[in-house]
Amino acid sequence: MAKVLMKGNEAIGEAAIRAGCKNYFAYPITPQSEVAEYLVKRLPEEGGVFLQGESEVAVGYMIFGAAGAGERVMTTSSSPGISLMSEAISYIAAAHCPAVFVNIVRGGPGLGGILPSQGDYFQATKGGGHGDYHLLVMAPDGVQEAVEMTMLAFTLAEKYRGPVMIMGDGLIGQMMEPVEFPDDLKTEPTNKDEWATSGMDFRKSKKRNLVKSLFLDPTALNDNNLALKAKYQQMKEEEVRFELYNGDTDYRVLITSYGTMSRVCRTAIDMLKEEGIEVAMLRPKTLFPFPEKAVFEAACKDSCKAVISIEMSMGQMVEDVERCVKGKRPVEFYGECGGDIPSPEKIIDIIKGLL
Amino acid sequence: MDFTGIVVVAGNYGSGKTETAINLAAACRKTGMAVNIADLDLVNPYFRTREARIPLEALGIKVILPDRQYLFADLPILSPAVADIIRQQSDLTILDAGGDDVGVTVLAALASVLQDRPVRMLQVINVFRPFTNDVAGCIKIQQEIEASAKLPITGLVSNANLLDETTPDHIYQGYDLVEKVSAETGLPVDFITAGQKVLPLLDMHRFSCPVLPIDRKLLPPWKRI
Repeated sequence: MAKVLMKGNEAIGEAAIRAGCKNYFAYPITPQSEVAEYLVKRLPEEGGVFLQGESEVAVGYMIFGAAGAGERVMTTSSSPGISLMSEAISYIAAAHCPAVFVNIVRGGPGLGGILPSQGDYFQATKGGGHGDYHLLVMAPDGVQEAVEMTMLAFTLAEKYRGPVMIMGDGLIGQMMEPVEFPDDLKTEPTNKDEWATSGMDFRKSKKRNLVKSLFLDPTALNDNNLALKAKYQQMKEEEVRFELYNGDTDYRVLITSYGTMSRVCRTAIDMLKEEGIEVAMLRPKTLFPFPEKAVFEAACKDSCKAVISIEMSMGQMVEDVERCVKGKRPVEFYGECGGDIPSPEKIIDIIKGLL
Repeated sequence: MDFTGIVVVAGNYGSGKTETAINLAAACRKTGMAVNIADLDLVNPYFRTREARIPLEALGIKVILPDRQYLFADLPILSPAVADIIRQQSDLTILDAGGDDVGVTVLAALASVLQDRPVRMLQVINVFRPFTNDVAGCIKIQQEIEASAKLPITGLVSNANLLDETTPDHIYQGYDLVEKVSAETGLPVDFITAGQKVLPLLDMHRFSCPVLPIDRKLLPPWKRI
């Protein structure tokens, strides 16, 4: 298929359609409202449904309902909206339902601002809602990757029967890039007859599927948590995705960065190379599971003297980086989170300060 | 290109109205005209004319933006200064509207000042954008914009591009589409655009309209200028 020019938000909407998603529920919020604007036009053409909830709290439970019935379902929102949905996300995780959540992150905390931010890293990777659960979180660095990750998200949500999140800072939603939609990323739903609710159809079969998050019996609750833990362990073994940029050189500094921020770091690395200074970047594509081993190994390369995590936050992913580096190298941090994205020149100054 | 008076730059969402408006303003200013440009985009939260304010002002173009305190808001604020610059006659006043029918709704609020003034409204089309890749899609959006703006579209502009990946064939494809829309609607093709990189590769004999060179002003932060 020929390339088209799309905004990240539009491309995420189209990718969901191409992945077979027929159910999209959302509530508008800048900077992701274009997903709804796009899907309100496109979904009816595909026989799908877009329903605007009365709030993000309602949307969260609309997602739970559709996911519990085994339907491919997605919502998109931005930071404060995801906060409101977090209760439902916890329920969805507890009840083992596949669903796709997209967070096009804006500045926070509180109402913050409408410009790009990565301040929701903790919320995405460490919880947001209550209880022992995780989302599988993928962070695209551009519109093409947003397409591929959105399509993949439906497959992974079903593989692990749980919520999957695409976390893009505001620029990922708002920027335009040429994209194409790969045909080979669409998968067919697999075993939903074994677990999804089926309305009155249970009378026809012997087994009635029950989707629930309430386990009053302590053994049953412990077992459910063990089942969740086993899934997260499997994700750590099978789903870690990352990119090591300029990693085959004798780099002196290792940057860890993701999303839009990694694009700026990439330009800074290219500019530093022209000056004869080698710097590498490890870019997690999955924020959970985190590329723990890859970060450790990249940091421990002999030539590497320091690691720096560069984020559009006040220091969130850096905590995971420190954990993975295990004290073998100093781990520094640089971040801004008002909405202005640091320039390549700024990053170069920071890196030179480490040499 | 012969533009004077008031020119509204409209088109579907993401068609490249702002880059077109900015570069049209710069091209006209370079011929010695007095040029004003107003950012009427109340729809799009990022990549608006306001982000190109400094290079435009350096060229001597008057840029009308919302009040500074609202510059980064997503509120539908129309600066009273916009009505003022329409009233004060300049050689050329460019109004950069927001996308789709929603984006030009603001023009209805300016109806009283636009009344009895010659207004040209351009429809910017990028064939590689969703919803305007064929004649029917372009005409549908045209009718929606006209109904919402309460003004007729007077000319077509092809802004065919895939950003850095644009080739001459892409420009030709866009030109061919607007020619077809022109044949169907009777509207003239006022000009087409081409980025600086692809411009020297084009066979200019293929076009019967002017070509506006585009020097991209709204770049993501990792692009080196």
